[in-house]
Amino acid sequence: MTQQLERPLSGDTVGHRQTLADRRNVEVPAPRGTRRYTAAQRAEQLCDAGSFIQLTPMHAAGASGVVAGWGDVDGRPVVVISHDAAVAAGAISAVFADAVQKAQRLAIDRGFPIVYLNDSSGARIHDGIHALHGCGGIFKNNVLAQKRVPQISVILGPCAGAAAYSPALTDWTIMVKDQAQMFLTGPDIVRATTGEDATAEAIGGSQMHTATSGVAHLEVADEDHAFAATRHLLSFLPSFVGGEMPMRAPQKPDPDAEAMLPYVVPDKASVIFDMNDVLDGILDAGERFDLMPDYAPSVLTTFGRLRGRPVGILANQPASRGGVLDAKASVKASRFVEFCTRFGLPVLTFVDVPGFLPGTVEESRGVITHGATLLHAYAAATSPLLTVVVRKAYGGAYIAMGAKSLGADFTWAWSGSEIAVMGPGGAVALLHRRALAASEEPDALRAELAADYREEVARPWLAAEAGIVDEVIYPEETRHRMVDALAMLCRD
Amino acid sequence: MATSEQDVSTIDVVAPIVGNIWQLQAEIGDSVDVGQTLMILESMKMEIPITAPRAGIVTTIPVDLAQIVQEGDVVATLTVD
Repeated sequence: MTQQLERPLSGDTVGHRQTLADRRNVEVPAPRGTRRYTAAQRAEQLCDAGSFIQLTPMHAAGASGVVAGWGDVDGRPVVVISHDAAVAAGAISAVFADAVQKAQRLAIDRGFPIVYLNDSSGARIHDGIHALHGCGGIFKNNVLAQKRVPQISVILGPCAGAAAYSPALTDWTIMVKDQAQMFLTGPDIVRATTGEDATAEAIGGSQMHTATSGVAHLEVADEDHAFAATRHLLSFLPSFVGGEMPMRAPQKPDPDAEAMLPYVVPDKASVIFDMNDVLDGILDAGERFDLMPDYAPSVLTTFGRLRGRPVGILANQPASRGGVLDAKASVKASRFVEFCTRFGLPVLTFVDVPGFLPGTVEESRGVITHGATLLHAYAAATSPLLTVVVRKAYGGAYIAMGAKSLGADFTWAWSGSEIAVMGPGGAVALLHRRALAASEEPDALRAELAADYREEVARPWLAAEAGIVDEVIYPEETRHRMVDALAMLCRD
Repeated sequence: MATSEQDVSTIDVVAPIVGNIWQLQAEIGDSVDVGQTLMILESMKMEIPITAPRAGIVTTIPVDLAQIVQEGDVVATLTVD
């Protein structure tokens, strides 16, 4: 693809130019197996049309197994590293690792998000310790990049060893259904080492990792959906820590959902509802981006917008397991809050939590450690934190859901909400043990005392009078309170 | 011994969380739609519906009212098409 020149060139120059043309004319291996795109085409599909440019293509040419470069996503530069499964199953050679690290370094130094398109069987055995050394260098840069830029891993094939570990050091991992797997080792080595007979899907398939292990955060139908999801996710994020927020034109909430807000929460405190109905009535209309929708669904972690500004939303979801906090929900929630606050996104917390789930199962899952991680994420946060108690906030879970005491800038409680150290049933049993034991009609007395407790103790007035919540509000006031607060807190 | 064909067409409905069986809303032999509530679990003072993951016929309900179940326990089986 050399341009036609007007004047003749000397013989030497013609030769050099011909050599360059030959060197550039490297045959690109066809996509491996059923894959639709080559490694470079994947990067091109991810980026704005015609914007992807390879870094050091001659360094990485041919046998390296990776294409690294940069392109635009919605007009903003992004570094893209795309494994080439057509070369030695994408195995990571020393040159491969070097090319990856150079691209990571560019992103870290200049402040560009990094998207990894992973499709690699792990370290290349022929390169021995050099490959391992390179993998460690990639990990080190993953960690350095965490402090600086968003990192998204997209898993597009079977990824083993380092190709599975590196995503765990990045922020979000997206897997393609029936095509992507992540594991330490695949079925053959599992069988040889432990005797366990399991399929690649069972060991590391997208369904398992997005619903059970939590290693990956989104399952998508195919590669094109993976690229679209990556672009959508990036649309909520600044390019680097401290970078400009990607604002959009403000949208009003869906008018029907907004009109329904006062009616969403059922009268009976034990009856479930869909927290999405609350979010629909408060946030800008338009698509939200749910992360980890299939993992610990009793909390929602989603990106949305408020008057055009990107925000992270953590919400209890009563429609799933009553909106309870447990070990897995705490892992999901804390990871999300930590991410949002690292990049300066305001966190809006919507609370309707019956408590932390007690018992042997949760304690053995380490609910104390994981619950503490959620406390830590809020307490360490530096970006704006706005919390609204929609219905119930009891006990330690009240604190863990972004309470004032952990550093929330503003907290509000809906007029029908309950904030207390425990729910009416438990509180009455403890406070009135003797009276209940002596009563001839304990059930009637218990119901009466619980109703009194609910109205006199648990309603949010005590908290508001103590300044522990800023104000008790009507549901339909929530959006304006949040908009006004962010207008004051976000000075960019 | 169940044949493999029967295995494929029978699915277990499991408890999503530890709790007690508070209400049964389906009986053995009932034809249920996807999403239909089979029973309500009481946990954390919340009424947590357990719904049919697919349409089918309820073939077993191996739990009683007020029974405590653990997360993952089978509370019903469905025969599906």
